[in-house]
Amino acid sequence: MASPAMTRTGPEIRCTDLAKNFGKGATLLEAVAPLSLSFAAGQMTALVGPSGCGKSTVLRMIAGLEQPSAGQILLGGQTPQDMQRQGALAMAFQDASLLPWRSVRGNVALARKLARLPGDTAAVEDIIARVGLSGFEDARPAELSGGMRQRVAIARCLITQPRVLLLDEPFGAVDELTRARLNLELPPLWQASGTTALMVTHSVREAVALADRVLVFSSRPARVVGDIAIPAEARSDTALQGALVEQVNAALAQGWSDHAAHAQPWAAQ
Amino acid sequence: MTPALRLPFVPEPVFRQMAAMLVTLALWQLAAMGLAGRYMLAGPVEVVQHILQNYGLLSRALWVTFQNAAWGFVAGNLAAIGLALIVALVPQTRMLVAALALVVFCLPLVATGPILRVLYGPGPGPQITLAALAVYYTTFIPLLVGLRAAPASWFDLIRLYGRGAWTVFVQVRVMASLPYLLAGLQIAAPAAFLGAMVGEFTGADRGIGVLALRAMRGLDVEATWAIALIAAAVSMLAYGAIGRITRTKADTQPEMLMAVKPEPSAQLVSARVFRIVMLVALTAALVIALWWALMEIFALNRFFAKRPDDVWRYLVTAPTAQANRAVLWAATSASLEYLIPGYLAGLALGVAGALALTLAPALGSGVLPVAIALRSVPIVTTAPLIVLALGRGAAGTITIVAVMTFFPALVACLQGLRQTPGQVLDVMRLYATNPVTRLWYAQIPAMLPAFFAAARLSVPAAILAITVAEWLATGRGLGALMALTASTSDYNLLWSAIVVVTLGACIGYGLVSMVERAVLVRVAPEQLRN
Ligand SMILES: Nc1ncnc2c1ncn2[C@@H]1O[C@H](COP(=O)(O)OP(=O)(O)OP(=O)(O)O)[C@@H](O)[C@H]1O
Ligand SMILES: [Mg+2]
Repeated sequence: MASPAMTRTGPEIRCTDLAKNFGKGATLLEAVAPLSLSFAAGQMTALVGPSGCGKSTVLRMIAGLEQPSAGQILLGGQTPQDMQRQGALAMAFQDASLLPWRSVRGNVALARKLARLPGDTAAVEDIIARVGLSGFEDARPAELSGGMRQRVAIARCLITQPRVLLLDEPFGAVDELTRARLNLELPPLWQASGTTALMVTHSVREAVALADRVLVFSSRPARVVGDIAIPAEARSDTALQGALVEQVNAALAQGWSDHAAHAQPWAAQ
Repeated sequence: MTPALRLPFVPEPVFRQMAAMLVTLALWQLAAMGLAGRYMLAGPVEVVQHILQNYGLLSRALWVTFQNAAWGFVAGNLAAIGLALIVALVPQTRMLVAALALVVFCLPLVATGPILRVLYGPGPGPQITLAALAVYYTTFIPLLVGLRAAPASWFDLIRLYGRGAWTVFVQVRVMASLPYLLAGLQIAAPAAFLGAMVGEFTGADRGIGVLALRAMRGLDVEATWAIALIAAAVSMLAYGAIGRITRTKADTQPEMLMAVKPEPSAQLVSARVFRIVMLVALTAALVIALWWALMEIFALNRFFAKRPDDVWRYLVTAPTAQANRAVLWAATSASLEYLIPGYLAGLALGVAGALALTLAPALGSGVLPVAIALRSVPIVTTAPLIVLALGRGAAGTITIVAVMTFFPALVACLQGLRQTPGQVLDVMRLYATNPVTRLWYAQIPAMLPAFFAAARLSVPAAILAITVAEWLATGRGLGALMALTASTSDYNLLWSAIVVVTLGACIGYGLVSMVERAVLVRVAPEQLRN
């Protein structure tokens, strides 16, 4: 892919006192309590935390799909809506959400069209090959496995060379081996262009292997209970990786026990 | 079926269908011969003879009716698509457009036919208009569902790139609604034929409906049977042909046909009641305004094109108002006397049939396709036949209404039962749940929305059936009253009857919706949410 890398580098993301409530009155649910986060430009951050703690909601607010109840989000000084209009955002949803009437190729190509970019057949073929789906270009989503669909969704994200990449459990339905391979092959696609990336994952190992930083949340209402930088050496040093995984796990456990002190975690769901 | 019975090289389903057909034909012939003279039944031999002898006449008439139906089909469906487009692009208008569409759909074809005849003069105008009126609602409603039938994340995807409602419409809604549109078109094909035939009943000079009327009036048994069977065959063919296109063009089947998801009910009950009252008032005001405006814009002669104030005067302020109301009320209650039992019997038999077929699947292998095929037969066009067979009294009329509601109910229930999520059934299987429990906890709740959708749509259909039967055969009730007033030019009474029938159909539709809500809240609240 010929990438105008320098012009598409990612912005810094700043969330200030970000909060989100769903419903009102008796059914009010505090999905995200005031939370301030910032993510460095060009870095990849993994978000881990218990199910239902609000990770997807944070991601959706940064994508401009959900309006915050309070607080502010700025991406390099711009609002999410500004970024949307520039075609600078991409997001892989928890379910792949492909359009069933479009082929693999058609789904990937659609993103360029939506982002108002000129069509680029070669780039589409190339990205499909990189997610390991050569030969399935003309298949419909219904003919693919769950993991294959998620790979199409990732290809759809990458085809627009986004400045901000949001991945919500992108490898949830992919087997361990394929997942390990994708973990090796995909990051270069966005790291080279300096994309700012956020990834929600339930695999601590994956978080450590892929990200530059791991942010650990407690149960809802989420607080940051761990903020662990992953040094570049960890990529090749398995012992260091193991230690970091331990560190993240400890923070997760901390978030649980804190929570248990004043509420039954399952009752809170 | 024992293996010994099977012919070599003949695939079993084909063999079974052929055998069933031969047996049916033989029984039919025997019945016709046995009952000759007592019941008005013509056997297949006589029917074929009649068709061969009158081949030229029948095929010319069929071609005329087919053309009228085709034009009506196109016009009605274009209208449905236009209405759905308005709703898709201006979602606030949804309730109002749907209510107006319902009112127009509830207009009694038996009365609009003669009035359109006066308006258009001779020619195919009324037939085409009635065909269009008969189809547009059954396309509009599924389309309305289809335009909203997409998971939220597809819309998120479009918004992610900062694109607006138009892109959502082009990229998601149009494609997502396609299977629903095609399903609607499939039902519309036989309905168009029905509309065209009813139009021809109202005094056309050519077409299969004219022949049907003539045959029935002349007590020509062979001709009546031949024409009813031709109408049935053409309807089934049209239904099948559109179905074939549907299967090649859309690989996704619509989820739950014709079941509009009710609005979420987060509001207070009083707020909901207020909203409904507002909607009814607004719809009534708009209908009256439109009625008036159309009459004035086209400068229609006040003698036959009555305005709302004419009806008001006739029914309320005129010195004879009380007598006028009494005439209408007598006819209405005469119609209701047969309409309600027929409607309820049709629905009950439809549900019972679907449940029986689910509990004893062996009984019903292949019943669904047959039921779908029979649903496509415009029952009203076979009304002369039923009247011939069962007489002009209560039995004949109630049967016509019941048959009209039976097939849609049966098909909707069978399709609804098949909507039960596979995982739920798997869980039940895991615990070796007995079929009745499975039916009660999983399948019936899944079936109810489709059933109620059919029950709602059956209200205007049942009214159409009874008015046609009364008009063509029994000579009592609102159908006969409307036919009589049309021929004696008593337009005040005719327009009043139209108002009464339309209002009655809308009230019936609303009552069914209320029952639906009450039942779903109790039995399947999950079907009410989202
Ligand atoms: N559209 C919505 N309406 C109402 N409540 C919502 C909505 N979306 C999320 N929630 C609630 O907000 C909370 C956080 O949900 P969210 O999807 O952000 O969790 P999550 O951390 O992504 O969980 P998981 O790891 O299971 O995906 C949950 O309690 C959920 O019930
Ligand atoms: Mg989530």
